[in-house]
Amino acid sequence: MRFLTLVFKNISRRKTRSAFTVLGISIGIATIIALGALMNGMTTSMEGILKSGEADFTIAQSGIADLSFSRIDENVTGEIQNLSGVKKATGVLIGIYPVGNSPYVMIWGVRAEDLQMLGASILNGSAFANESEIMLGEAISKDLGKTVGDKLVLREEEFTITGVFQTGAIYQDRGLAMPLNKLQELEKKEGYVTVIYVELEEEANLDTVCKQIEENFANLVTIKSASELGKVDQGLNIMNAASLAVSILAILIGGIGVTNTMMMSVFERTREIGVLRAVGWKKRRVLIMILGESITLCIFSVLIGSLLGIIGARLLMLEPTIQGILEPMFTLETFTRAFIVAFIVALVGGFYPAYRASKLSPSEALRYE
Amino acid sequence: MEKLIIKTRDLIKTFEGGLIKALNGVSLEIREGQFVAIMGPSGCGKSTLLYILGGLDRPTSGEVTVDNVDLCNAKNLDSYRATKVGMVFQMHNLIPVLTARENVQIPMMELNLSNTERNKKAANLLNLVSLEKRADFVPTKLSGGERQRVAIARALANDPKILLADEPTGNLDSTSGQEVIQAFQRLNKEGRTIVLVTHDKDVAEHADLICHLKDGKIQAEKEQQRSRFARRYSLDRL
Repeated sequence: MRFLTLVFKNISRRKTRSAFTVLGISIGIATIIALGALMNGMTTSMEGILKSGEADFTIAQSGIADLSFSRIDENVTGEIQNLSGVKKATGVLIGIYPVGNSPYVMIWGVRAEDLQMLGASILNGSAFANESEIMLGEAISKDLGKTVGDKLVLREEEFTITGVFQTGAIYQDRGLAMPLNKLQELEKKEGYVTVIYVELEEEANLDTVCKQIEENFANLVTIKSASELGKVDQGLNIMNAASLAVSILAILIGGIGVTNTMMMSVFERTREIGVLRAVGWKKRRVLIMILGESITLCIFSVLIGSLLGIIGARLLMLEPTIQGILEPMFTLETFTRAFIVAFIVALVGGFYPAYRASKLSPSEALRYE
Repeated sequence: MEKLIIKTRDLIKTFEGGLIKALNGVSLEIREGQFVAIMGPSGCGKSTLLYILGGLDRPTSGEVTVDNVDLCNAKNLDSYRATKVGMVFQMHNLIPVLTARENVQIPMMELNLSNTERNKKAANLLNLVSLEKRADFVPTKLSGGERQRVAIARALANDPKILLADEPTGNLDSTSGQEVIQAFQRLNKEGRTIVLVTHDKDVAEHADLICHLKDGKIQAEKEQQRSRFARRYSLDRL
C-alpha cells in the first residue's frame, strides 16, 4: 500500500461530509473561474476597442469612469496628427444602441477612409459612401440575418447596408460602422470623438510620444497596453477588486470548512493516530497525512469548481443582454489562480488540525474514549 | 543464561501533578526470549508500565533500559517504537477502511521499503498468524480473534525483538483468546520476548514469569517451571 492510498481511503471514510466540503470549496473556485473568465473577456474586448487595427496606442479623455463618457474635441485629432513621430491620428465616435435582440450594440462613427485604422477587413460589399449607409460587423450580420443591400432601422432612421466587415474584436464584429458625422448628429455630439487612434512612424518612440501628449493635453490620457485599461474603465478595476474579494472570501470560507472537516476527522481518529504514533510513525508523517487529506479535498474542489465555473460562465452567456458584450475567456492564468486559492485553502484549513494531530501524545491518544 | 533485555529500577510515574501515583518504584528484569505476564487489579499501573516500556510515555523518575536504549534520556522515541518494540492493544485499533494486508503495512511506512517489499512482508506476517486467506478483508469482515491476530502481525511489521501486549484477549471470547495466546506462544518460541498485561489467570499461566502488580509496585514474581517439552506439547494441542 502506498501512502497516497491511505490518504484517499481516509477521505472516503465519511463520503457525505467530504462531498459537502468539496462542494463548498468548489463554489468558491467556480466563482473565481467564472469571474476571471468574464474579466478576461471584458479586458480583451476593451483591448479590441483601444488597440484596434493599425493603432499603436489610443487617446481618451482623462479622469473618466467609463470609456463611453470620453469626449474629445475633434480638432485635437489634427493637433495630434501634427506631432513629431505620429504617422496618423484618427478620431472615432462610439455610440451604444439597441439593435435586434441585443440592447447594447456598439456603433462606430468613422470616416470611410479610416476604416483600415479599425483593422476592419471587408468580407462582403464595400464601405459606406454617404450618411444613409452603414456597415455591419460579421457576427451581428449573422445574428440579424442581414447582409449587403438589406435595410436596417436605427433610431427610426433607415440605413442601407453596404458591406460586412471583420476585425476579430468582439465589440466591433458585433457592432456597426457608420460615417462619423452621421453618428455625431445622431448622438448630438457634433465636433466630438470618443477616442483617437494613433499610428506612429517606424522610428518613433512610443513612450516619448505618449508622454508628450499627456504633457501637452492635460485632459487626455494615453493607453498603450491592457494593463493601462483601468485609466479609462473603472469597471475593470471594480471587477479586479471583486475578483480579489471573491478569492479572499473563498480562502476564508473554504478554509473554515476544511478546518471543520479535518478537525472532526482528527477527533474521530484520535485513538487511531495514537496507534500510528505507537507503531513508530513520526509526528511529521502524521502531519503530512492530515495535510495530504486536506490538499486532496482541495484538488477535487479545483476540478469540480473549474467545471462548474465553465458551465456557469457559459450559462450566463445565454442571457441576451450579455451576449455581444462579453465573451468569457478561460486562460491558464485563471485556472492557476483558482488552484493557488485552493492550495492556500488546503494549507490554511488543514494545518491546524494536522498540527494538533501530530502533537497528540501517543499514550493520551490511546486512552482517548 | 539469556541476557537482560528489559531492566527497570525504582520506576515512578505520577499523573495530575503528583496526585495520582500509577507506578511507585517498579524494579523489574526481563531476559531475552522470556514470556512475562504482568497481572494485577484495575488501576494498579499495569498499562502505565507497558506504555513506558513501549516508549509511549516517560517515567517521572527511575531508570528504564530496553534493548540498550535508555528510555528516560532518549531524545526521540519514534525510531525506538518503530524498530525495537511491537505493541498490541486490548482494542485491535485497526484502520477500518484498510484491509488486513494494508493494516499490517502501516508501521513499514517509516522504513525505506518499496511497495512490493511491503506487500511481500505483509503477506509473510499474515501467514505467520495464519491469516493469509483473510489478507484482503477489512476489519469488519474479520472475527475478533482474527482482528487481534492482524494487530499482532502489525506489531511484528518491523521485526521487533520485543512484543508488548496490553490485555490482548480482554475483548475476546475464550476460543478467540486461545488463538491469540497461541500466536504469542509461537512467536515466543521463535525467540521473541513477550510482555503481556492481563488480569486473566489462564492467560498468565502460559508465561514463564508472572509479576503481580499492586498499588504501583511489584508485589510478587512467580517463575513458571514449565519444561520446553510441556510447552511444545501444549502448543501442538492448540
